[in-house]
Amino acid sequence: MTKKKTPAKEKPSSPSSHPHTHGQGHCLDLLKQLSAYIDDELPSDICREIRRHLGACPNCEVFIASLQHTVALCRHRPVPPLTSADRLNMRRTILDAANAR
Amino acid sequence: MPPQHPPVQGPDGFDRLYRDHVDLIHRYAYRLCGEAESAKDLVQETFLNAYRGLKDFRGEAQVSTWLYTIASRACIRMRRKRKGEPEHELSLDEFVPTSEGEFRLQIPMDGLSPEEALQNKELRQALDQAIEKLPPQYRMALVLRDMEGLSAKEVGTIMGVNERAVKSRLHRARLFVRRELSARGITHHDDHKSGGLRS
Repeated sequence: MTKKKTPAKEKPSSPSSHPHTHGQGHCLDLLKQLSAYIDDELPSDICREIRRHLGACPNCEVFIASLQHTVALCRHRPVPPLTSADRLNMRRTILDAANAR
Repeated sequence: MPPQHPPVQGPDGFDRLYRDHVDLIHRYAYRLCGEAESAKDLVQETFLNAYRGLKDFRGEAQVSTWLYTIASRACIRMRRKRKGEPEHELSLDEFVPTSEGEFRLQIPMDGLSPEEALQNKELRQALDQAIEKLPPQYRMALVLRDMEGLSAKEVGTIMGVNERAVKSRLHRARLFVRRELSARGITHHDDHKSGGLRS
């Protein structure tokens, strides 16, 4: 992963200081903002709040890791290169079609 | 990206346009279509339309943005023609995990780089299938933003929507692909070590 944000570095809040009912409130709010979070598009105070939540919620931490992995896999999805013959053949087809009008 | 000058008009304009951008548009087309022949058809359709529109291109947009736009429109037309593929919206609600198990689904790549993980044929195929299953407008946002590396503003220009709509589509597309990949239960560790599923 190339993202510089590593939620685990933020000191986790203790469960007693942040009562947490999983699947409600924070978790659902977080879900809506995850892409903006991993793309560094959120204000720093909201990022801090999210990191605090992640430190207290292992489920959300796993969820965000899986979303980051998804983005990383998409970025590295391989594409077979064109061959020189492909380039030449396609160019010929395009020009034939253009001149056929 | 800096403005791309000189303009592409002139006797050698098309040749230069084609030479400089065919690989870029092929990569985009392959990522949108997911297979070689459809990608080549889309490249040809894109450059044929560009050839016809070259005289009207004034250089207000970057050449690459102009070509991405032509390719995106051509892709939607071709898919409708071939598959009658209906547009449908992805609701954020459908990605809200309803159980702890759903929240904790994982993508099997811990400890490996994305390149290494994608050597697992099963994972690569699952990724291709997940992207193929996305409705076109979501697939396009994901490909342009996460694979082609364009900004949300550039993607908005190409797709003819505002940045907010791009970000919304991108988020839902990512959640969709994440759910598809994690729900497959791909057993990647042993496959990777043995090389059994590498292609």
